[in-house]
Amino acid sequence: MADLVHVDRAVARRILGGDEAAFREMFDRFFPRLYRFALARLDGDADTARDIVQQTFCNAIQRLDGYRGEAALYTWFCQICRNVLADHFRKRGRGVARVVLLEDQPDARAILEALAAPVSDEPESRVWRLQVRRLVEATLDALPGNYGDVLEWKYLDGQSVAEIAQRLGLGPKAAESQLQRAREAFRVAIADLASASDELMGTLGRSPG
Amino acid sequence: MVAALIQAAGRRTEPPADAYRQVLDAAMTALREKSRRRRERSWLIGAAAAGIAAVSVMLLLQRGEVSLQPRMATVVRTIGAVELRSGERWKPLVESGGAIPAGTSLRTLAGGGAALSLGDGTSLRLAATTEVQFDGPRHILLRDGMLYLDNRASLGTGFRIGTPLGTVHDIGTQFEVRVADGMLRLRVREGHVEIDRAGERLTGGAGEQLEIDVLGGVTRSMIGTTDPAWRWAETMAPAPDIDGRPATELLAWVARETGRRLRYQSPDVEQRAATVILHGNIRHLAPLAALDAMLATTDLEYVLEGDTMEIRARTE
Repeated sequence: MADLVHVDRAVARRILGGDEAAFREMFDRFFPRLYRFALARLDGDADTARDIVQQTFCNAIQRLDGYRGEAALYTWFCQICRNVLADHFRKRGRGVARVVLLEDQPDARAILEALAAPVSDEPESRVWRLQVRRLVEATLDALPGNYGDVLEWKYLDGQSVAEIAQRLGLGPKAAESQLQRAREAFRVAIADLASASDELMGTLGRSPG
Repeated sequence: MVAALIQAAGRRTEPPADAYRQVLDAAMTALREKSRRRRERSWLIGAAAAGIAAVSVMLLLQRGEVSLQPRMATVVRTIGAVELRSGERWKPLVESGGAIPAGTSLRTLAGGGAALSLGDGTSLRLAATTEVQFDGPRHILLRDGMLYLDNRASLGTGFRIGTPLGTVHDIGTQFEVRVADGMLRLRVREGHVEIDRAGERLTGGAGEQLEIDVLGGVTRSMIGTTDPAWRWAETMAPAPDIDGRPATELLAWVARETGRRLRYQSPDVEQRAATVILHGNIRHLAPLAALDAMLATTDLEYVLEGDTMEIRARTE
């Protein structure tokens, strides 16, 4: 993680130096993740999510001189986004905690229950599956670098290691190594979220991935 | 397990393309503006390092002995810690009376405050933890904090107060602007004030408060001209020199500074006030305290009734 933080600080310096290509690269990586971050906390209000993310970017640019690389740049952006959301809720007289997301609470036992439950059309089941979907989304978004994309290419698009290597501009061995690190990062992130659940930890431990 | 979870969740939600475009445009604009400001600062540093002659000029500038820029303001009064910056570094403002050239920034620290004269009798006051930049004639940039402007100039010679959330225009009035926590707040005590924000124009009249948030939401409410919220600006009011001046001048100043209409009990009382000549000074006294101190030596007294200050003949 220390290396990633160092890289992010260098990225911030390039952006501050007027490197618009570096900014576009960062924007393309962060925008979809921040948009989902905001959308999940706004009951799916797409217009407000767009405005919140816009304000987040503007605030972040203004304060970028103050970014020292103590945390990953995306984590720093998320904190700014939280502040913009808090302002938004406060000005509308709404409590910040009205939308409680699984990734925002330490006890994720509910994830296990949702996963273990048989597929059902009951409304309650649908709500839980939405929550799980949101949890996986948030976990993929929180992974460093392009690990989230790599996992989607592999498990949703069914791409081979060779195809992923080509997209990343890497050799097959390096791509395989990146895929392995992405799987491990995802496993650790989910386990951290679900640390209250011994059962899930056990499941993850038994699973070959 | 990893594969099963990701496949069960499905593909992540993609933001709409128009949202991507809009946010990118706004972010690029903000980035270019920041880059421009950083280049200007770098240029200033380079210019300052260009030679001994330039350094000498800068030293003279800092002492206030020489100014290459037109004077934008004069510091009349300070409370607590106040700093100014004409290059890259902030330096303590050690005494009042200094001229502020164009391009200079001024900031008050916690517990501090400052009052400045902008010419034409216009008074600018800065609350604690406020930062402004004097960009040019009648143009002030409020970066953070709260200011109060009392512009007595005639119609059409107002000031522009730039803020991150919009530009405030006044037309001969008294008003307060505050920028904090991603919100622009305007309080109008007298006259009218306009706000330009992203092509939208809002007007606030006397007794109105407008709060504009980062998303463009506007909340209007009322605030009286004698509301205690104006007290900080009254405390910072630079006192006029009243030695040898008629009491009517002091009364008019106190009425304006406290947001009240001045009324005399009778024409005789008004005539009496015009003939009372004051002696002494009221430096560092708030308006009502100054009035108490000066009227104690006369046969006049005042009564506050709502937004009116009535001057009466002393009865005791």
